[in-house]
Amino acid sequence: MKTKFFLVLLVTGALCAVQSAHAHHAFAAEYDPTKPLTLNGVVTKMEWANPHGWIYMDTKEKNGSVKHWTIETAAPSQLSRHGLKKADFVDGMTAVVKGYQGKTDPALANGRTLVLKDGRSFYIGSVGGPNDGAEPR
Amino acid sequence: MCLFAGCSKPAPEAPPPPAAPPYHPVASIREVMNSVIDPNVDVVWNAVKTVIDHGKPTEHAPANDEEWAAVRHSALTVSEGANLLMMPGRAVAPPGAGSLSPGIELAPDQVRALIDKSPSGWNQFARALQESLQPALAAIDKKDPQALFEAGDKIDEVCESCHQVFWYPEQGASASAASAQAR
Repeated sequence: MKTKFFLVLLVTGALCAVQSAHAHHAFAAEYDPTKPLTLNGVVTKMEWANPHGWIYMDTKEKNGSVKHWTIETAAPSQLSRHGLKKADFVDGMTAVVKGYQGKTDPALANGRTLVLKDGRSFYIGSVGGPNDGAEPR
Repeated sequence: MCLFAGCSKPAPEAPPPPAAPPYHPVASIREVMNSVIDPNVDVVWNAVKTVIDHGKPTEHAPANDEEWAAVRHSALTVSEGANLLMMPGRAVAPPGAGSLSPGIELAPDQVRALIDKSPSGWNQFARALQESLQPALAAIDKKDPQALFEAGDKIDEVCESCHQVFWYPEQGASASAASAQAR
């Protein structure tokens, strides 16, 4: 019985996490357009998923600690349209992400551009983000 | 054959006024979105994805009949949920509720005004949502993960298009202005 209850809690918790991660909101409701940021670090994980992709990146802080970032991207179809492929996410890859910081979670960001170590640059911004010149015309 | 005026058919009676619909909306649009549409469309979206962890890709897709049936259940729920959105008489949000993000996302009375101004536009988006689920249902019936993944993208386009008209029509412009000030 206890195991069953624990399982229900676990599944409910997982569902809530998914919901909060995927709930649709306006860009400016979740991200701060006055807080642009540039993240230089190691990409550890990429979720190639609808309705948004998620890049997980570790950056080194000034005090030597590692900060784990969760970065929202456009939908995979948009990423593909701009030339990014799943195969680009190799083990140990370093990259630079430009975007905007989350309003409530300081380790959350909305990515606008992704530049890989080989110099290739991709637009990864979601629909509805600021018109800041990042989106190719 | 009838030769006398008195034999003619009586004038038809005026039709009775339409009966009140038997249904009664209980939840607001916001609640239908949060309780019916959003959790179920998340199931459709999450059914197929690739997670690349330290360069190692793992493909996620329904693995058996039971899992495909669960996704179908959710896809049908969203399809029928679109009908709930079109039902007249449904409040936008519970009484006393305000904007979830004041200044960015509209308040319920502002959303109401937009819907009342263009009920056909509102219904068109709801129908578009319903229609966007059709390729997903077809993909599920064929147990085709790639087709389901592609269908998920189209569903998101419909969601976002509607939100940009009825929920946060100014947000793109305001975010642009704020980011320009920050630069």
